[in-house]
Amino acid sequence: MAAGVAAWLPFARAAAIGWMPVASTPMPIPPQEKRKAQDGLIILNVSGTKFQTWRNTLERYPDTLLGSTERDFFFHEETNEYFFDRDPDIFRHILNFYRTGKLHYPRQECISAYDEELAFFGIIPEIIGDCCYEEYKDRRRENAERLQDDEDTDMNNDVTPVNLTFREYLWRAFENPHSSTLALVFYYVTGFFIAISVMANVVETVPCGFLPNRSKEVSCGERYALAFFCLDTACVMIFTVEYLLRLIAAPSRYKFMKSVMSVIDVVAIMPYYIGLVMTDNDQLSGAFVTLRVFRVFRIFKFSRHSAGLRILGYTLKSCASELGFLLFSLTMAIIIFATVMFYAEKGSPASKFTSIPAAFWYTIVTMTTLGYGDMVPKTIVGKVFGSICSLSGVLVIALPVPVIVSNFSRIYHQSQRAEKRRAQRKTRLARIRAAKIRGTNAYMRYKQNGLLIDTLEEASKEAGQALVAKPPSPPFESQHHHLLHCLEKTTNHEFVDEQTFQANCMEISAMHKSGSRSSSLSSSPHGLSSCCSRRHRKKSSFSLPSTNNQELSTIQIRERPVVNSRSSLNAKLDETVPLKCNEPFITPSMVSLSAPVVTSSDGDGSTTATTTAYSQSNIVRVSAL
Amino acid sequence: MGLVMGTFSMQSKQVNYHKDKADDDLEMTMVCHRPEGLDQLEALTNFNKRELQVLYRGFKNECPSGVVNEETFKQIYSQFFPHGDASTYAHYLFNAFDTAQSGSIKFEDFVTALSTLLRGSITEKLQWTFNLYDINRDGYINKEEMTDIVRAIYDMMGKYTYPVLKNDAPKQHVDAFFQKMDKNRDGVVTLDEFILSCQEDENIMRSLQLFENVI
Repeated sequence: MAAGVAAWLPFARAAAIGWMPVASTPMPIPPQEKRKAQDGLIILNVSGTKFQTWRNTLERYPDTLLGSTERDFFFHEETNEYFFDRDPDIFRHILNFYRTGKLHYPRQECISAYDEELAFFGIIPEIIGDCCYEEYKDRRRENAERLQDDEDTDMNNDVTPVNLTFREYLWRAFENPHSSTLALVFYYVTGFFIAISVMANVVETVPCGFLPNRSKEVSCGERYALAFFCLDTACVMIFTVEYLLRLIAAPSRYKFMKSVMSVIDVVAIMPYYIGLVMTDNDQLSGAFVTLRVFRVFRIFKFSRHSAGLRILGYTLKSCASELGFLLFSLTMAIIIFATVMFYAEKGSPASKFTSIPAAFWYTIVTMTTLGYGDMVPKTIVGKVFGSICSLSGVLVIALPVPVIVSNFSRIYHQSQRAEKRRAQRKTRLARIRAAKIRGTNAYMRYKQNGLLIDTLEEASKEAGQALVAKPPSPPFESQHHHLLHCLEKTTNHEFVDEQTFQANCMEISAMHKSGSRSSSLSSSPHGLSSCCSRRHRKKSSFSLPSTNNQELSTIQIRERPVVNSRSSLNAKLDETVPLKCNEPFITPSMVSLSAPVVTSSDGDGSTTATTTAYSQSNIVRVSAL
Repeated sequence: MGLVMGTFSMQSKQVNYHKDKADDDLEMTMVCHRPEGLDQLEALTNFNKRELQVLYRGFKNECPSGVVNEETFKQIYSQFFPHGDASTYAHYLFNAFDTAQSGSIKFEDFVTALSTLLRGSITEKLQWTFNLYDINRDGYINKEEMTDIVRAIYDMMGKYTYPVLKNDAPKQHVDAFFQKMDKNRDGVVTLDEFILSCQEDENIMRSLQLFENVI
């Protein structure tokens, strides 16, 4: 803070002369100025935009990049300036912080870009000035929520692990009805039965004509008691089965039982069971009738089916304080007005305002502008206060309502946006994946064009050949390809693209007895994350056993006859390969023999054959990578 | 209903506050002072051009309008003494800087005072200090004025000191001061008494030279 007014330090020190005559003890020696620091200009070149400032300005904050010796790393000798390859628009704000001591957040900048710049220059975001701090925090929170949202949907949708236990599969089916057809069917069936059950409850009470031996009209529930009972039983059985299945499938049973939806489920089916136990006892039938009221809670089960209902519930929960305030202020007003009305109407004969609690009813009806008219004031004073009551009622109720409405609107729009993002996400991810594949394929093409140079002789041979034949590749690309090639050499595996890999998978499974190998197979550690998952998915169609990645492979003796020299090389290597099996992790990866085109990889191209395990195969499985 | 009344009254108070603030700001922005040229200032003070440049840049940074009012002055000074309350001493300082008693310090006042304090002769410094202590500008420092000043200085220390600050510490300090300075024991210290006594004291003489090379 004092650094912001560093320029006034000389003044503060000069003013200290005013203390000298009253000083009780002698003054300490002032610090030595080691070097008379020439206050020079520093040029900061940020992506071409030149900023200049005094050296002292930057050194006000010595624990940031610009104020410390860290900036020397960015010094550019030739032009005698400090060069930063960052965003000049955001840098403007950072430099202003040094100048004025206040950090501002520009509204039009992306919050994560801004955060990155701050982190780069070593400035903590907490010192953003009050003028911009709220906006910054809001944007940050929004962004975090969005990321969290995406993560959650990621976990729900994109991860399709093959090796789900039955329990996990069931849980996923319950939570996400779109995950499989069965889940969808179940979802609709339960929805249907909830609707049926609720409608049955409603229709039960409708008067249904006269029974021959009764004078009163009888309700449908009494007339067709058996039918309704059967319907109720069926619904309750479905609900019970559903609840039990959910309970079994839940990853954390305790947490599931505590959740709101499970409580609603229990409350919805309990009355039936209690009724079963209690039908015979006449005295308790009164209580039994009350219990039937709880059957209406079945309608809340719809909230699993409707996102809007969930949003409403969430809104009410988040507006709890506003609702509480509304309730509190209403209660206060009711009590005040009821008291006033009671005493005002006390004198009037045959007044309905017999007590203050009786006046509560009048106050509530008036404040909410219902005005039933069953209780009206008769005295003039009563009428005056009655009108004040109704006017103020409108105001008190109107106050918190916009807050609740705006909250609901915000949450609703947020969920709309989330839905839209989820829908767009699939196409977005597909496009991203396509771009990635293009990148990996570049390396394949590079290889196939015979551009890989393994040994020195090859290099000279290539150099001898006309360079015209090779398209000039940029240095970054060529170095990257060299790196990938080094990885191949290190692991003794090669990269292939997806199609070849799939083709080889099928080939292997089809003809695991024959020894011929037409195409090369290889592992693809490059795109391991995506490829593996896809391979996993494809594997399910191959009816693989559910192998965990962590399992060690079993080694089975290969029975394939040795056909050609390459396979013999393979066989030879296989014997040495078991040593590698103790590695804790396997990725079932296929390994290439040398690519047929490249002449250079005679001796070194053959790699150990790692093949995926098949339940009935007798191929040696070896851990790789 | 009561709530409604309450909220209404709150609203009206807010409005008043805003009005005052707006007026204040309006006044501030209309005043914009430019100092005399660099050459004149160089002649007036004991600083050279570069030093004046540095001083002015710092001055203008904090006070873009070219003048410092007491509020800003107090704020700036308080930032150097975050432990305690520097506002009282800043008030006295402000009065000492504001020689024309106009309520605001222009850059010329600022720089002339600094010139005296940093580059002036001993007598000039002592004169300035006497001026600072003489709150009512009557030419005499009496015990009350001195106590005020000393208490203001102690306020800057804040609460957390070692040893713990006692209530009568300023008074004792003032008594010691008067013991030393008041030669003719008439209860007030005049300028000559002050200068004489200070010149006799080695410590004071040495400490006055302390901030020679501040710029």
